Amino acid sequence: MIASLRKAWAFLLRDFRIESGYKTSFLMRVVESMTLLVLFYFLGELIAPGGSPALGRYGDRYLPFAIVGVAFARYFDLTLKMFSESIRLAQVTGCLDAMLSSQTGCVPIVLMSSLYSLVSGGLQLLLILLAGTLAFGVDFGRINLPATVLIFLLSILTFVSFGVLSAAMVVWLKKGDPITWILSGFGAIMGGAYFPTSIMPGWMQKISLVLPITYSLDALRLTMLKGYSIGMVANPVEILLAMTAVLLPASLIIFAAAVRKGRREGTLLEY
Amino acid sequence: MGPNGAGKTTLLKLIGALLLPSEGDIFVGGVNTVSHGLEARKSVGFVLNEERSFFWRLTAIQNLEFFGALDNLWGADLDDRIHELIGLVGLGDVADRPVSGFSSGMKQRLALARGLIAEPDILILDEPTRALDPIAAEELTELILDRIHQDSRKTLLIATHRPEEAVRLCNKVLVIDNGRLKGFDRIAELSEKGMSLLEYYRERLQADTE
Repeated sequence: MIASLRKAWAFLLRDFRIESGYKTSFLMRVVESMTLLVLFYFLGELIAPGGSPALGRYGDRYLPFAIVGVAFARYFDLTLKMFSESIRLAQVTGCLDAMLSSQTGCVPIVLMSSLYSLVSGGLQLLLILLAGTLAFGVDFGRINLPATVLIFLLSILTFVSFGVLSAAMVVWLKKGDPITWILSGFGAIMGGAYFPTSIMPGWMQKISLVLPITYSLDALRLTMLKGYSIGMVANPVEILLAMTAVLLPASLIIFAAAVRKGRREGTLLEY
Repeated sequence: MGPNGAGKTTLLKLIGALLLPSEGDIFVGGVNTVSHGLEARKSVGFVLNEERSFFWRLTAIQNLEFFGALDNLWGADLDDRIHELIGLVGLGDVADRPVSGFSSGMKQRLALARGLIAEPDILILDEPTRALDPIAAEELTELILDRIHQDSRKTLLIATHRPEEAVRLCNKVLVIDNGRLKGFDRIAELSEKGMSLLEYYRERLQADTE
């Protein structure tokens, strides 16, 4: 356990050192996030408070609805892509072979390679929420923190599971990862990142019900904007819990099998 | 030794547990690399010939800190080991500079330090002088011969195209072609027979069967 934590720290330190060499990188991401906030602020101005019955479930105003949706959808998108991207990067930079020749297994290497993304993405998420509060007056005063944290963690685990599956696809197929495509941009639109799923036609709502982001965003908005307790969001919590319980071990097993296949066929380092 | 595509790198990666055999088992120091790959890797250090196998924005020391941590080294033990190795491979003056500014020879020296970081019993070198100019290649060969081969008495497994390199660094030669063993002899015995390594290599490649 201590050995794993020390290795995790080594990965965090490595990526922080590399990232700090790109002086404008973090600044550009902050500017991009702020631009998004401005965009959704003005879109929100088009809808008067209480002007859309579909928003009523989340407190009548569009800007808080959009900020929670967009900030978390971006973060989940990152958790979905970070494993496959870290493998890709290690393959392209030629460092994967060197890491694999160490006394650390491939699965921990890939998982730990993504830690920095998880942390820096978390900082951006907090920054967006903070800017929404300070600059645009979004009120998170009713937030139920324990429920929000629980749903957030469950959502991360669910998306990490899909992310590991996506990485397995990259190891296996090299190109063409359908999981990321379905759950990323398409998932954000269908899962209600920008508008409530209730305004979509019935058949589209049925599709949204199989996407984890639908449950994550719905529950996060309810706990952050309306102060719902864990008991009041039990349904999405149970669904996310079930997805995690099944997908997390399955994804790790599938990824390990893909790596083993790559090591047997000599294709692990190909990209 | 073997021609391009003979399977030298594949064989070394199989021994180093980087690849798995399609059938059969490989034992390194009594440990099965197929079922206990991580355990087997404890006794194997790998010196890759891929120049890009370092994080170029990090310094030599920062790279070794990272790879050392992957080999379960930390704290004062790791620091001491890094400084010992940096001195051993002669990179003391540039240890705090980013690897991006290193020449091919310096990167290969750093790769050697990385391969030695966990004090392995077996050091695998995959064509260590392939990308080096003649002077840098000679310096690296000297370094291996003087500081590693003679001092520590490790087992060195070296893939090479250069007979003169094999003669200086090795006491046994294994010739492979197309994934098959074509010859395995003591280099000293070849000399006793009045045969150069290049002649032996040619003869073995022309032999139809093992």
